[in-house]
Amino acid sequence: MKKGLGAIAMAFGMFASQVFAAQPTESIKSETLKTVLSRGALNCPGHNGSYLGFAEIDDKGNWKGLDIDLCRAMATAVFGTPDKSKIIPLSWVQRWPALQGGDIDILIKISAGTLSRDTELGFQFSNPYYLGATRILAHKKLEISELKEADGGTVCVLAGSVQEKLIANYAQKLDIKLQTVALDKSEELQEAYFSSRCDLYIEFGPTLAITRTKAANPDDHILLKDTLALSPEVMLVRQNDDAWLDIANWVISALLFAEQEGITSQNVDDIKAAPSSPEIAKFLGAKPGLGKPLGLDDDWAYNVVKHVGNYSELYERNIGMGSPYKMPREINALWQNGGVLYPYVID
Amino acid sequence: MSELNLSLPLAPTVARVASRRVIKRLLSVLLSAACLSMLIWVAWLCFEWAFVNATVSSDARQAECVAGGGACWSVIVNRWRLIFFGLYPFEEHWRSVAACSIIVVTVILSCVPALWTATRLGILWLVGFTGFYILMRGGLFGLSLIREEQWGGLSLTLFIFSASVLIGMPLAIVLALLRDTKLPWISKSTGLIIDTIRSLPLLSILFAFAVVLPFMLPDMMVGEKLYRVIVAYALYFAAYQAEIIRGGLQGVPKGQDEAAKAMGMSYRHRMAYVLLPQAFRTSLPATINQFVVAFMETSLVVVVGFFDLLASGNAAYRTAEWTFAFVEVYAFIAAIYFIFSFGLSQYGAYLERRMGLGKR
Repeated sequence: MKKGLGAIAMAFGMFASQVFAAQPTESIKSETLKTVLSRGALNCPGHNGSYLGFAEIDDKGNWKGLDIDLCRAMATAVFGTPDKSKIIPLSWVQRWPALQGGDIDILIKISAGTLSRDTELGFQFSNPYYLGATRILAHKKLEISELKEADGGTVCVLAGSVQEKLIANYAQKLDIKLQTVALDKSEELQEAYFSSRCDLYIEFGPTLAITRTKAANPDDHILLKDTLALSPEVMLVRQNDDAWLDIANWVISALLFAEQEGITSQNVDDIKAAPSSPEIAKFLGAKPGLGKPLGLDDDWAYNVVKHVGNYSELYERNIGMGSPYKMPREINALWQNGGVLYPYVID
Repeated sequence: MSELNLSLPLAPTVARVASRRVIKRLLSVLLSAACLSMLIWVAWLCFEWAFVNATVSSDARQAECVAGGGACWSVIVNRWRLIFFGLYPFEEHWRSVAACSIIVVTVILSCVPALWTATRLGILWLVGFTGFYILMRGGLFGLSLIREEQWGGLSLTLFIFSASVLIGMPLAIVLALLRDTKLPWISKSTGLIIDTIRSLPLLSILFAFAVVLPFMLPDMMVGEKLYRVIVAYALYFAAYQAEIIRGGLQGVPKGQDEAAKAMGMSYRHRMAYVLLPQAFRTSLPATINQFVVAFMETSLVVVVGFFDLLASGNAAYRTAEWTFAFVEVYAFIAAIYFIFSFGLSQYGAYLERRMGLGKR
């Protein structure tokens, strides 16, 4: 009986908090943000299964991964806590109708920005949050570090794939001769590569890094330096909600800005107490101005860094050195470290 | 000379026939022995893989499993809760267990002949299903609310299966009767509906109900995705089951109907007491078949993003430390499906024996 009363009280509490949360919506421009606030949760896509490193499930049934963490960052920006993100399992084919129909508020599902997705499907893209490169895996015992040195070698490639064309063109450009072993299934490919039938194995970067973890000894294999093609993974939102897209872009920017300035979830409180520059003071909400133009709280970026982390933390724990996949940052590093990622300027 | 003449053509023939028989028998014995030993060898290999060389320790990872050389059941030991419960909140798994037990007990009870009256079965299923639903969804009696989209694993598979069969079975009877009426408009249009559903792949029906329908219906009619999917399953099940029942109805001798009519029984009574029971009896094997197929087909919900048994299985091995162990996970899931399907078909066989099907 007591529990029943508790439940009723809780229901009232939730109702009240929703009314309360709905109050400041007058100044909010984004329709999606209004929906999210009144629902009390941000809906993001998961997988009908998992996608290694980007969305997987731990032993307790919780989602984890880079895409999931980005969703949590979005939810933190909106609500101040990552717990209000809700992951809805979706298959690959379902992702477009789910976004169009409003089942999800933002699509973060390792999806590249393409012409047709922009125009025919009617979406808008955020800045890329991850650049998926096509890479080459090689046996370490060959003692090579880039493709140029692999003249005369054999390469395993998925038959009829984009990679088959890529490697042929690239080899021509480098003026080296490669023998291709084209197979139909990725299991066969991996088997062929691991059994040393091929010296090299070309694939989409994350897939490759994950293949490496399946090896008897992952350290026997290295990723070559070459990058053959790039697929910019973006967040997608519905068209005609620029204010919502702004929030997505600024969340990515905040993650990168925090990394650029060396602000981590560990030291964020210290830095907020004694900011080293006016920008950082504004960024962490010690001075007002960061939230209002976006329709968020002034300390949204502080909350994101505090509860989710900066970009580096997200990357390393999900797909980088802190994870089993051990993917180096490389092109996904910040501009100052030789990568191509950068935050916008906070003025 | 005459003796020779008589015996010569005979003797070689007998010898030839005899030797041919011996050779044939020898050959078939050899072949059988070869096949049998091959089978035993394969069975032994499987046994060795699954039990002798298997690794079961919960701390074992890829290295230990590869060293063992057999199956790596450690993946099941570590991830079984994910396989059984999907995304259902970890602390509330006991509710999922209780709910599944309720459904299983309900199914077992409804197999007991003593309960075979419409009222008793109706009450049993009403109680069983409500219990399952309240336990799973919560929001009552102090249980926290867990929305349908978080359900997963075995309990979701069981829920979809039993709900679609519960809706589909009565619907199938109605469809079968409508198609069997003498009013051409009704029977033709019912026939059209049934044949349309039967000529569409289940996958496309599911996709239409789960993904496309929300774009066409007004918001208030859309409802939870899970229920749209169940309606899709129920329709599909009903279309096939209706044809099975209609086949059964046509198998009932015409004299039965005429005799019932002659006794002045109404249509309702003729159907309920004379025709349908006999139709059910003759269509029982096909019905059990349809049940088993329906159970297997629940795994298709994975394409519309539900975490049924198969999808949770996929998620279970698709994480850094277990990517190598997919065979073990699939074998485990296959075993679960086998237990349920085999149980169903064995029960069907029992029913057939009990009704003396094929003897009377």
